[in-house]
Amino acid sequence: MASELFRIAPYEAENPTGVSLREAFVLLQNQLKPPFPLTIPSSPEYLQLNRAILFGVLVEPHLAKTHFIHLNAIVTDGYKFFVSLLLKIVTESYPKILESVRVQLIWVTSELIDVSSIGVDNLLISLMRQIVGGDYSNWNLWLCMELLKVLLAKWDWLLEEPFVLTSALFTYLRLLADHYRLSGTTQLDALKRMEIDFCIRVLKEQFSLCLRIGRDLVRLLQDLGHIPEFRAIWKELLLNPGEFSAPGFLDISQLYHSRTSSRYLLLRITPDMENQLRFLLTYVKLGRQKRYQMWFARKFLCGPERETIICDLVRFICCAHHPPNEILQSDIVPRWAIIGWLLTCCRKNHVQANVKLALLYDWLFFDEKIDNIMNIEPAILLMVNSIPQYIDITCNLLEFLFLLMDNYDIERKDVIAQGVSAAFGNLVRKGVVHSLDALTSCNELSPLLKERLANIFPCLESGVSEAHPICVPCGSLLPLNLPSPSSMKRQTSVSSEQRTPICVPCGSLPPLNLPSPPSTERQTAVSSEQRTPLCVSLPPLNLPSPSSTERQTSVSNSSFKRAKDSFVCFPPTLEFAKSIKHGKADISFK
Amino acid sequence: MASSSSIALKDMVPAAENNINTRFILLEKRNTSTRTMESQGKQNRACLELVADETTVVHFQLWGEECDAFEVGDSIRLTKGIFSYDRSKQVVLRAGKRGKAEKVGEFTLAFVETPNMSEIRWGPDPNNPKR
Repeated sequence: MASELFRIAPYEAENPTGVSLREAFVLLQNQLKPPFPLTIPSSPEYLQLNRAILFGVLVEPHLAKTHFIHLNAIVTDGYKFFVSLLLKIVTESYPKILESVRVQLIWVTSELIDVSSIGVDNLLISLMRQIVGGDYSNWNLWLCMELLKVLLAKWDWLLEEPFVLTSALFTYLRLLADHYRLSGTTQLDALKRMEIDFCIRVLKEQFSLCLRIGRDLVRLLQDLGHIPEFRAIWKELLLNPGEFSAPGFLDISQLYHSRTSSRYLLLRITPDMENQLRFLLTYVKLGRQKRYQMWFARKFLCGPERETIICDLVRFICCAHHPPNEILQSDIVPRWAIIGWLLTCCRKNHVQANVKLALLYDWLFFDEKIDNIMNIEPAILLMVNSIPQYIDITCNLLEFLFLLMDNYDIERKDVIAQGVSAAFGNLVRKGVVHSLDALTSCNELSPLLKERLANIFPCLESGVSEAHPICVPCGSLLPLNLPSPSSMKRQTSVSSEQRTPICVPCGSLPPLNLPSPPSTERQTAVSSEQRTPLCVSLPPLNLPSPSSTERQTSVSNSSFKRAKDSFVCFPPTLEFAKSIKHGKADISFK
Repeated sequence: MASSSSIALKDMVPAAENNINTRFILLEKRNTSTRTMESQGKQNRACLELVADETTVVHFQLWGEECDAFEVGDSIRLTKGIFSYDRSKQVVLRAGKRGKAEKVGEFTLAFVETPNMSEIRWGPDPNNPKR
């Protein structure tokens, strides 16, 4: 039996919340044993009793049930205060909570769900946020498993809490991408299996709700394309969207056009990380951030596996932390500087690629009617402010952006071209940058990049809206995947075999229109023309797992060379290609 | 979190009194040396750390186990500390026997890196003979 809630190091101050709970417990200890008094406690007594009971539940496992029954008897506020105490402890101090107390925490959360307590949804979300990405230590994986067990056990309740359900899906899809790479214990295998089963079940049974996540759902799913169960989901997503029984859902581009709420983008960073980053971006002056960066990295990026959270940090910074004007106009360190630093923290190619995708994701589908310019501001400022001292970063990001435009979803290149053009247009129009001259007249940028930028320019210079047809040709004038002159040149710097196996089959087919409800055309094409699935199922880039060979490439090389190292145009496609070649393709549709 | 008598580091004046209540963040751990504590004739570790708040920087001296207690980035509350001259005629901040240093947080404290109070040359206060 613990007599404390927290692990306090020598010379560390006591946790005030912990102290208040313990003091209440000590004070009211006699009242916590049956028979319980029948008098109705006054308001301050009620609060003290809540504190005392909570302490008892957490440190006396053998009496926890009794304490909870006591709580049931006295509760007058729907457990609101009790849950708020728990929420405070979890959000502010979870890492310090003793292990035995953590066990009780999970137990009482489960009990609180059963009594439909007020605020237990927030408690669950807060607990999910405490699962640290890239941390495969026992107690972290334990939390991951235990929360999943609670969610599965309370399925009916979960169905009535759409935000918790979709948050759980977001969380476990993201965790699965990291966990799937790990091998080892049977316990880990069991966790992976549970995660897969949970996510698939939610996707299949509640897809309408899943759509609420918005475009980041695609980003999460693309990292799971190599898992058989998710490959099947992808197939249906692209070829048979009606299968999901989500009324009105006809095509993946509807997801692209749905911005992900910042509430989801908080899920994969812990409150500690959030507090430190927000502090950095609110109180620390530019030029003084070095020590803070060092401390942050030492605490949260302490090991090669931890790099995986950097893309989550970038997504948070872009989408969930929008400094007010006073800060933007001050000398406080700007978001682009922190993102530039985070990029340098990436050691692995695929991590860096994921981070760049996170940075540029909202560019791909930008629509000023639904998107926030603050989501795309950091990237342009990073590009522009890196001239001339860190010109490699500018080149790198621009090349990556164009790579995405060409390859992210080949079938919907026009959608992406429109998005990127709208992004640039809005940034100039709203004065985030005065113009793109810094980029287009930069001597250190290659003519190819500048030419590519100029292709986007007609839309800007003629002052037309993003929807103008001129912008569309960026994608659809060219048959799918036949290289444009500029990318042809780039390809010479890249050995030709990289793109051919993936793209040529598609290039030889006429561009497919965005799927319409009568998908019979496509289905007959499937039976007769086995190459069709390749094109149709050319979904987003799957950024590689570490198992793909990592090669060092210098930053100044075209990132198409890096593309070869880092990207595969969606593994399932590649596998389809291979398996079709060997006559092993399974193209049956359920 | 700071008590009502908490002062900024820049407002400290050297004195042989346990009168410093303040809060700062640990920037760097510097030299560790082994010194003899006069009263007990025993060897004990002493180390000097660089600490700062929004106003200034100062050297913070730690003894014995205190040396291992804190990490860079820790936010520390000092009660009844002393700001006075040590053996090497440098003015340092320390907890002393009656004072207490405790970690109260991490990271979220703004600081400056100059000036350094330990490097200021102090003269007697013409108005107050004790100072």
